[in-house]
Amino acid sequence: MASAQIHAHVADTHKANEEPIIAITGLQKYYGAFHALKNINLEVAKGERIVICGPSGSGKSTMIRCVNRIEEFEAGSIVVDGISLGESLKNVNAVRAEVGMVFQQFNLFPHLTVLQNCMLAPIRVRKVSSKDAEAIAMKYLERVRIPDQANKYPAQLSGGQQQRVAIARALCMTPKVMLFDEPTSALDPEMVKEVLDTMVSLAQEGMTMLCVTHEMGFARSVADHVIFMDGGEIIEKAKPEEFFSAPKNERTRNFLGQILNH
Amino acid sequence: MIRDFGLLEVLSILQGMWTTLALSAVAFIGGGVFGTLVALARTSAWKWLRALAGAYIDFFQGTPMLMQLFLVYYGLPVFGYHVSAWTAVSIGLTFHASAFLGEIWRGGIQAVPKGQSEAASALGLGYISRMRDVVLPQAVKLSFAPTIGFLVQLIKGTSLAAIIGFVELSRSAQIAASTTYKPLIAYGLAAACYFAICFPLSRLSARYERRFATNT
Repeated sequence: MASAQIHAHVADTHKANEEPIIAITGLQKYYGAFHALKNINLEVAKGERIVICGPSGSGKSTMIRCVNRIEEFEAGSIVVDGISLGESLKNVNAVRAEVGMVFQQFNLFPHLTVLQNCMLAPIRVRKVSSKDAEAIAMKYLERVRIPDQANKYPAQLSGGQQQRVAIARALCMTPKVMLFDEPTSALDPEMVKEVLDTMVSLAQEGMTMLCVTHEMGFARSVADHVIFMDGGEIIEKAKPEEFFSAPKNERTRNFLGQILNH
Repeated sequence: MIRDFGLLEVLSILQGMWTTLALSAVAFIGGGVFGTLVALARTSAWKWLRALAGAYIDFFQGTPMLMQLFLVYYGLPVFGYHVSAWTAVSIGLTFHASAFLGEIWRGGIQAVPKGQSEAASALGLGYISRMRDVVLPQAVKLSFAPTIGFLVQLIKGTSLAAIIGFVELSRSAQIAASTTYKPLIAYGLAAACYFAICFPLSRLSARYERRFATNT
């Protein structure tokens, strides 16, 4: 019995290695004449944690925003969990339901309570009853250690609490992938840790994560791979130990020198 | 025969006030429903729909309401629809209100931060839910004061319906004035009625605006 389980687990991993949960191929994105993303190719395996860093304007946010089509793109393809983006609107919503996203500015719905923020998408997209949606919402609010704030409005919460609610709201859809777009950049320093702790525990539970962040401690301890982007290109992709100790590209070295040495 | 200005005149003016209220309510509700559609069309992803709604708004903002009422009142019979003054005025005012409310709410929709609809999209919410559950509630809040401001204009604007023979507050005051030769009393009373309706609304709008300003 035990060996069968191990066997199944190995088979699973093997399958995951064959079929990435996200496959970005030849992605091109323009803002007018500005070439924002230049031929991006990236595969993300199931359960993989990737941290993306780079100077501002390097296209890192744009890239992860293309994954759930919050951003349009001109060429290339993105396949998420076997669903190809680019054709019908139906696919877009199917992908979005499987991909959670956390924004720099939280983007909680200010006219809804914390609980209602979390219940909305399960009710409207998954069509669960409001009783079940409430149970789901409370489950994930407990997970981000904030259930006592359920009936407050977002404006009554601190930034760190708001961002944890935003994570809980995304988790209520039980996404297969979580995208983080600079989740701690808008936070006061003392609130960064509570959000990072939540992200670390999520990573430990095997969530597939794409994080745009400059929290290099987080990258070191959690990431399977670190990606460095500059000028709309992926310059370097490496395991964190290599990435920080022996970056291959000069631009990566410069960037790391700027953010680490002070 | 000249009548005294008596209870009958007062009652007929109050009756006119009631009609004005009913007409305003119909125009505001009808205008609200169609105005929502105009606002959604104006903020649509499709360029042709935005242009169409823009032309609709431009027409109603660029022509006097009186002409709009005439066009409906004399235009509908041309197409074979013989309607009462009530219906014609209701339709005309609904068109008029939908264009103005549509433009006010368009501004409200665009004032809702883009991150809100992005977050809604990222959760997989479709267009209808995104608008109904996330964007419109916030847009309506943001445009509350100008909406009430327009409602006040609309209530006063219903007096134009008197010109196509519709007996509302202004017309009933006019009738009382001509039968009693006491125009100052008749029109004074009508003005007091308009004021009694509009002033509380203006105050409500101002109070809401202050509350909103302190909340944000």
